[in-house]
Amino acid sequence: MKDFKQHALLPTPQHDEQARQDFVGALRGHLSGRVMPGNYQLFERRVAPLFAAEHGRAPADEQEIREWMTREPYYQFWSALQRRSQELLWESVIDPTEREWSKLIHRARSKAGAKASARTNARKRGSLRLDAALTVPRYHAAADIHLQPGGYHTDFTADDVAAGAIYDKGINLYMGGALGAENDLMGNTLLAYLRERHPSRQPKRILDLGCAIGNSTVVWAKAFPKAEVHGIDVGAPVLRYAHARAESLGARIHFSQQNAERTDFCDHSFDLVTSHIMLHETSKSALLRILAECRRLLKPGGLMLHLEIPRGRTPIEQFMHNWESYNNNETFSRYMTRIDLTAEARGAGFTAEEVALEEFVPTMDVTQMNYTERFVWNILVAAKHGVGG
Amino acid sequence: MTDPTQPPPEFPKGHRPQVFSDPAIDQLYDGYVILGTELAVAFDRIDTLERLLQERLGMSRAEIDAYKPNEVVEAERQARRADLAQRLLRPFREFRDDRITRGSRRR
Ligand SMILES: C[S@@+](CC[C@H](N)C(=O)[O-])C[C@H]1O[C@@H](n2cnc3c(N)ncnc32)[C@H](O)[C@@H]1O
Repeated sequence: MKDFKQHALLPTPQHDEQARQDFVGALRGHLSGRVMPGNYQLFERRVAPLFAAEHGRAPADEQEIREWMTREPYYQFWSALQRRSQELLWESVIDPTEREWSKLIHRARSKAGAKASARTNARKRGSLRLDAALTVPRYHAAADIHLQPGGYHTDFTADDVAAGAIYDKGINLYMGGALGAENDLMGNTLLAYLRERHPSRQPKRILDLGCAIGNSTVVWAKAFPKAEVHGIDVGAPVLRYAHARAESLGARIHFSQQNAERTDFCDHSFDLVTSHIMLHETSKSALLRILAECRRLLKPGGLMLHLEIPRGRTPIEQFMHNWESYNNNETFSRYMTRIDLTAEARGAGFTAEEVALEEFVPTMDVTQMNYTERFVWNILVAAKHGVGG
Repeated sequence: MTDPTQPPPEFPKGHRPQVFSDPAIDQLYDGYVILGTELAVAFDRIDTLERLLQERLGMSRAEIDAYKPNEVVEAERQARRADLAQRLLRPFREFRDDRITRGSRRR
């Protein structure tokens, strides 16, 4: 956490606010590294034998494990502390954001605003297009995902950017700093995958879905400086923040407030469509529509890349991952455990030859994984038939 | 510059899980973690102060022990204690919000 980059749009924590964030980080590191693994031991040494004694077999799925594990005091202890640490995380980030709220809005306006010099630089700058009439999908409006009060989408005042500032520092703490100085681990991972498996690709038009604060989008804009890069999200405050942040980092990105299920871009308009940890925060029907929309947007020969968090290979791993679904308002993620992403992509119109689900080991050191000690990323890839790309 | 008037909601919208059979146990666990957090904050602050005092002023611990707060200082301390109580009792407000006054999410 020490090397997190303090840029102009982040509030500067005061002494006690900093101490609170630091402790939340230490607590979560301890829970993840020292307490969480005990759940796997508890399962192997106590719950699995008890289950076998009663049923004469191993638990068939994570639901059967759930019934037994949630009655165990050790699991209860971890679960209660994990939930509290998540609420403390947001509380510790919200305090300084609230204190510097007006200042942050002001800074975002001036970073994003058209200054006198901007006209000459217009071609070097990105843009922001908001849509006040857009309906926030139910899967975001119904519950605040991973407990961030107000979620990605709530404006508490005019030109609000608070949700962006809160998310930026929040995910840094969530992963114990593993996302890097600019929260760019996910973008870098997907870019590393592209460079390794599709080294000759030089996309000219790139679209990043569910971009939030543009932390991953910036990686693509920097990697392909000649490309026209777009980022969309349903949340207005995160997009205002994303735009100001990208401008201050010198990345040219065009942000727009749109639902990835149905965008206003033309057919065949992108060489590369990406998303980073977005799919598990949608819904079953939305997932299908988003994949179909990706196919519509891709040029012949274009590439679709979705980076996702795998939901475990064994029932106990799945049960641990799904803690987030039952306790952290990641409502859809437990359905993701059972979904075959390649089958969904085929259902959305891709052919079997076009799609693949790949496992990709992170190039960076992921120290704090919260629910598992073994970590790989899942990447849903589809190369649309045709020449180009 | 607009001055934001509406604070964000104190609690996230959505399901609040109950881990233990008695909700009082959940609240005690939560209070225990929050207390630990505030203790960590206090330790950091004391550490900062003592280092600065020694570095900049060469002040001794005896002087700290002999210190008596005046009215202004006392008022600040009361505000700090109230803030601690507010943080520490959050689990009980969450319980009230969830089970008794659902929907009135403002502080
Ligand atoms: C976990 S965040 C990921 C943010 C960012 N991509 C990153 O790498 O950290 C998921 C984002 O997807 C957005 N999102 C979810 N469903 C969407 C949809 N149907 N259309 C556009 N954005 C969506 C959310 O608003 C949220 O900002």
